[in-house]
Amino acid sequence: MSRSAHPRAMAASKPGSTRTAPPQLPDRFPFGGRYLAYTLFDLTGILYLLLGLSVLCAVWSLGSGEAVWNGALERHRSIFYLGFHGIALAALIFVGIRFFAFFPKAQPPRVGRVKPPPKPVILAALYGLWIGVTACMTIVLAGGIF
Amino acid sequence: MSDGQQNKTFVVTRFDPDRDEVPRKQSYEVPVRSDWKVLDALNFIKDEIDATLSHRWSCRMAVCGSCGMMVNGEPRLTCKEALAQYGDTVEVAPLANFPVVRDLVVEADGFMEKLTSVKPWIIRAKERAVEEGTMRQSPAELEEFKQFSMCINCMLCYSACPVVANEPKFIGPAAIALGHRYSLDSRDEGAAERNAVFRGEGTVFSCSFANECSEVCPKNVDPAAAVNQAKLNAVIDWAAGFVLPRGGDE
Repeated sequence: MSRSAHPRAMAASKPGSTRTAPPQLPDRFPFGGRYLAYTLFDLTGILYLLLGLSVLCAVWSLGSGEAVWNGALERHRSIFYLGFHGIALAALIFVGIRFFAFFPKAQPPRVGRVKPPPKPVILAALYGLWIGVTACMTIVLAGGIF
Repeated sequence: MSDGQQNKTFVVTRFDPDRDEVPRKQSYEVPVRSDWKVLDALNFIKDEIDATLSHRWSCRMAVCGSCGMMVNGEPRLTCKEALAQYGDTVEVAPLANFPVVRDLVVEADGFMEKLTSVKPWIIRAKERAVEEGTMRQSPAELEEFKQFSMCINCMLCYSACPVVANEPKFIGPAAIALGHRYSLDSRDEGAAERNAVFRGEGTVFSCSFANECSEVCPKNVDPAAAVNQAKLNAVIDWAAGFVLPRGGDE
């Protein structure tokens, strides 16, 4: 262990009579072993922030006239934007799979008298919903409806 | 060297609060037997090589939860870890995320405070009279919380949790799991009290579901499941307070 955790991590509210060495972080945190998946999961938040800014820019362009909007569409065809959206898509799939894997066990044994369905049913519902929403969005964006 | 023995190097973190400014590492050559656990080697060091080494242990059968330490960077019960699975060098350090009292001994006072804050005992609105007999519980009711009652308070989950490392007020996995265990108990009537605790600062909502607590739990308690189930229960209880008479206590 080489790096310090928060100096008050797991400290008692009143200091004891013995001097203690400060708490240390686990060796592998944040990029080693299993921590890597967790850290990457959290880091995807940066991508969502950038995606949000990108959407805001697109909306701004939409309200700034046809020429600006066409310019924005042109920019979105660039290698940079395509690459960024590719990475964002990979991040979304990673986050979705990780979230879905943990979701079933986060359900209490019962809420009132209602018990959650078995894990395979929950997973099937989650993935079914994901595929359904993705299919609908694809159809809408491809001009299939509306 | 006799059959079934080989030498391993143990790199042990040492800290003497009277002499050391910061922890240091010390190496020991130990002739280990093939059936030894990590704890056996530490006891050998203590008994035969260096009597000044301090470490906690008691039951030697993964029940008491005393001998939790970092073994090659992972929080482990040293009495449960077979040495055969490790290479020629084994690093042993005190549990991460805890203040160190001496060598491999960490301060558990903070953990005990967090544990009591979730009221891990059966709360009854009115105590049952002896004449009424024992409270009955069906196997199905027992099954709802049994997994979470297997916790032995070894604190390995705290040592693995990245939130514990960075947020001192976080009650942490084991304490929340035990509180949740009592809230799920059909004999208990204190879920609302605990949910009020769980909705406070540094409680269930500080958990970012790293799942490390469940990965390192030696008793398969799955504290991450308990914490995240407690989140949902705390929210339902809070929301019920708006729509049900007398809040969500019924």
